[in-house]
Amino acid sequence: MKRWVWLLILLLGVSMAQSVGNEPPPDYPPEVFEIAKKLRCPVCRGESAAESNAGVTEEMRRQIAEMLKEGKSEEEIIQYFVDRYTDWILYEPPKKGLGLVVWLAPLIGLGIFGLGLYGYTRTTAKREAAYEEVGEEEIARLEKELEQGDRSGGEE
Amino acid sequence: MNAKSLIGLVVVVALGVLFWWGIQTKDQRSELPSALAGREAPVFEMELLDAFKGKWGEKINLADYLGKKPIVLNFWASWCYPACYEEAPIIEAAWRRWGDRVMFIGVDTQDERKNGNEFVARFGLTFPNVYDPRGKIGVDYGMYGVPETFIISREGRVIERHAGSIDMETLEKMIREVLE
Repeated sequence: MKRWVWLLILLLGVSMAQSVGNEPPPDYPPEVFEIAKKLRCPVCRGESAAESNAGVTEEMRRQIAEMLKEGKSEEEIIQYFVDRYTDWILYEPPKKGLGLVVWLAPLIGLGIFGLGLYGYTRTTAKREAAYEEVGEEEIARLEKELEQGDRSGGEE
Repeated sequence: MNAKSLIGLVVVVALGVLFWWGIQTKDQRSELPSALAGREAPVFEMELLDAFKGKWGEKINLADYLGKKPIVLNFWASWCYPACYEEAPIIEAAWRRWGDRVMFIGVDTQDERKNGNEFVARFGLTFPNVYDPRGKIGVDYGMYGVPETFIISREGRVIERHAGSIDMETLEKMIREVLE
């Protein structure tokens, strides 16, 4: 029985030691997360500042909440982070410069695919039209020529 | 080779180059210049770690030092192993060498105070180090992760940022540039 008590005290001690200095996340209004979603987590890959649990994103959310309380607009808050981290901090690439290429890439890809498809169907249609244009007389003449060619080839 | 084959070849080569570039591109956060470069250094007032309170007071206000000497601002944490452990003796050596002409301030960021104090004792750090459990100063400086070192000019402007463990050669170069 004593062992169990000691084990319980030990486990309690370990859990308390881990929680020192790690305050529970503050309960922020949804606007904070809406803005945080538009910002990248500086120390993660592919995570926004709203999803990440990294310490730096906790601080970012805290600062967003503070700035909202001060009455700053979403644009002002996002600009605050851009001023410190450049456009890199934006979760979605900006629709200008290189970022614009990223946004247009699917359209460009679709355009290239469409052109390829158009070229292919046009060539196929042309080929089929060429077959249809050849009259029966012409076909008969060509077949005759081929037969003659075969015969003369066989005689040699 | 007709025009169609040539276009096809160009597209294939372009896609190949794009693929090669994609796999070559590393995460270049450490190579990104500071967005604050050339701009006024964000000021802060923060409590010092225990070892520095006797000499420097309870808190340090960066504004008190701006415009007097260039400043080396180094972000670290005790949990940042091995990078912060590698550079701590280098920063301390640089402080002892240039401390009369350059101010050094360390920022223990998102750390446990006890661990921060132990880190200071372990490396015998003598330049003032503040304790920033939230990492507020780091966000103000657009820091990506510890360790990071910023150089602030005598005029109070951020000059350069170095991400990752700094070696003496790089630090000396940064200091000499700001002293010129």
